[in-house]
Amino acid sequence: MEIDSDVPMQDATEETLDPTLDEDALSKAQEGPGSSGIADHKASKPLQLDSGNIGQLDQWIEHLGKCQVLSEDDVSRLCKMAVDVLQFEENVQPVNVPVTICGDVHGQFHDLIELFKIGGPCPDTNYLFMGDYVDRGYYSVETVSYLVAMKVRYPKRITILRGNHESRQITQVYGFYDECLRKYGSANVWKMFTDLFDYFPITALVDNKVFCLHGGLSPMIETIDQVRELNRIQEVPHEGPMCDLLWSDPDDRGGWGISPRGAGFTFGQDISEQFNHTNDLSLIARAHQLVMEGYAWSHQQSVVTIFSAPNYCYRCGNQAAIMEMDENHNRQFLQYDPSMRPGEPTVSRKTPDYFL
Amino acid sequence: MDRAVQETDYDAFSCKVSAIAKHYLPRQVSGKEKEEGEFVQLHMAYAQGLKSVSRRAYSKVDRAVQSAQPVMNYGTYLRSVAIDEAIACFLKEHVKSGAEAPVQVVNLGCGSDLRMTQMLSQVPHLKWLDLDFKESVALKSRILENNPLFQRELGPSESVETAGYLTNRYCLTSCDLNDIAQVAEILKKFTTQDCPTLVLSECVLCYMKSAESKALINCIESFYKMGTWISYDPIGGDDSADKFGKIMQTNLRESRHLEMPTLMVYNSPEKYAQRFNTAPHSTSIVTMWQYYVQSVPDEEKMRLKTLQFLDEIEELEIILSHYILAEASWR
Repeated sequence: MEIDSDVPMQDATEETLDPTLDEDALSKAQEGPGSSGIADHKASKPLQLDSGNIGQLDQWIEHLGKCQVLSEDDVSRLCKMAVDVLQFEENVQPVNVPVTICGDVHGQFHDLIELFKIGGPCPDTNYLFMGDYVDRGYYSVETVSYLVAMKVRYPKRITILRGNHESRQITQVYGFYDECLRKYGSANVWKMFTDLFDYFPITALVDNKVFCLHGGLSPMIETIDQVRELNRIQEVPHEGPMCDLLWSDPDDRGGWGISPRGAGFTFGQDISEQFNHTNDLSLIARAHQLVMEGYAWSHQQSVVTIFSAPNYCYRCGNQAAIMEMDENHNRQFLQYDPSMRPGEPTVSRKTPDYFL
Repeated sequence: MDRAVQETDYDAFSCKVSAIAKHYLPRQVSGKEKEEGEFVQLHMAYAQGLKSVSRRAYSKVDRAVQSAQPVMNYGTYLRSVAIDEAIACFLKEHVKSGAEAPVQVVNLGCGSDLRMTQMLSQVPHLKWLDLDFKESVALKSRILENNPLFQRELGPSESVETAGYLTNRYCLTSCDLNDIAQVAEILKKFTTQDCPTLVLSECVLCYMKSAESKALINCIESFYKMGTWISYDPIGGDDSADKFGKIMQTNLRESRHLEMPTLMVYNSPEKYAQRFNTAPHSTSIVTMWQYYVQSVPDEEKMRLKTLQFLDEIEELEIILSHYILAEASWR
């Protein structure tokens, strides 16, 4: 195995902008992981749903379904409940068929609602989301709040994995941090969610046959049992197996290669086939890459990429897709286009960035 | 519409400032550290000037700089570097060391572009004409006049008119590019017909209607005996599955009232290149993605990679494939 050395990745923590433009720059105060306090009083057994918290969750879900944010206090309550669900999930969370597997959403809330229309409402349909709920789109707060509320309300019906954007560093560059600040006036909600992200499972295994994760394989991971041994409750590291699982991409070139993203690796068909063989898998399902049709096969159907944000960033013009797997492991892809975003005033909408 | 077009200058400038703040720009070339330092200084001085002249414009720039993402910084770097390289290439061909052969640059829709400052001090026999809307010229000339740094680099303005900047080598003046008679008059007044001329249009032709842009190109190409036109613009894409251009038109129309009338007309590099009536062998065009892959040295690629996480290569490719740099020469 040969791994090319890579340029060391600098901390993506926002450095100060040019001093002349820095007057109102946000001080992205770093009090470190855990400072939100959402995990200060973790329960010793999974959250039990009762009529009281079910009523509360249903109310939140209805509210969020209208694309309205929860209050800061409610986000805090929600995140505390979610910790007591997610901390008991495994690094390789087992999932049963039938299930509908989804890729990146990236804050495109209205398209997420469209996804549930296409795939069927949760909890009637089981869902597995492979990360990247936040950043880039304009409704990261609503999107992640909604999915977390659904997870707490229907813990056996929906699985939410961690993507590389569910991290403190990346969200400061790609929009979730700024959105929280804009919508709540402080970084508290951002701290709560990023503290919660540390508890998200990093992979899932559908009926012992389909290995699902956000990015891809790692040169340091040969078996699924090795994933089970990782300590995942932490910020996504810059390197190492956990980083790779969330960052890597399949590639036409064989073996391991340098990732153009600056984290993770590229892996070839030989690697995928070996991994599937070793672990008795039929498929690796992953997200992470924009694909114009919403899904794309690689490595002779050893790997599938699923991307569920149509017209990504409101400018890329791609279709989105989700993958249904039935009881007999038959797979079907459902493609869809952007929702019309009713009720969203076009005037106040931020223009996607272009070079003008 | 004019105002919507004029305001795109704040986008261009804020992109540049952001790319500077994140150290994408200036491009690093060993032995050019002095010029690189000046480049940063000039842009920061201009941003400061903008603040004192127009709080509104400054706050637009400031907001944009705060939220600029890696894909935009990459694209801005490439746009800036690709144009600089094309200009350098033209000058290398036409400026013979020691000889007193003059060359000139006509920058159409110059906006806040500050290239003239360094070019004029580096190339002794260069003359530079900056043209833009009246409002843009008024803003730029005030900033240049108020700042000792620009005063020192450009020399004091002799302009007696209220808006504009005029020295014996640099002229900034207002011009409606849709008014061919006015364009012709200004070119005649401030430039020389038989001098090698570089015409620069950076996101300019894309806002013009087809007939007007055609007339402008014809007018300029017939006026100068020999010249090179360097043009940076978006293209809509000619693949039927490619929706980038149509979405771009809709987005810009809805949120900014900004039109790009020929985006889907000259929608491929080939069709865009044909705008210039120049011989195929003296016309070249690359998409910014091709430029990134083929022309950015590996050490620069490595340097860029360390500046920010560039998460989405696929997105970068889509965007950069819809921007081109054309170079068309005639004599």
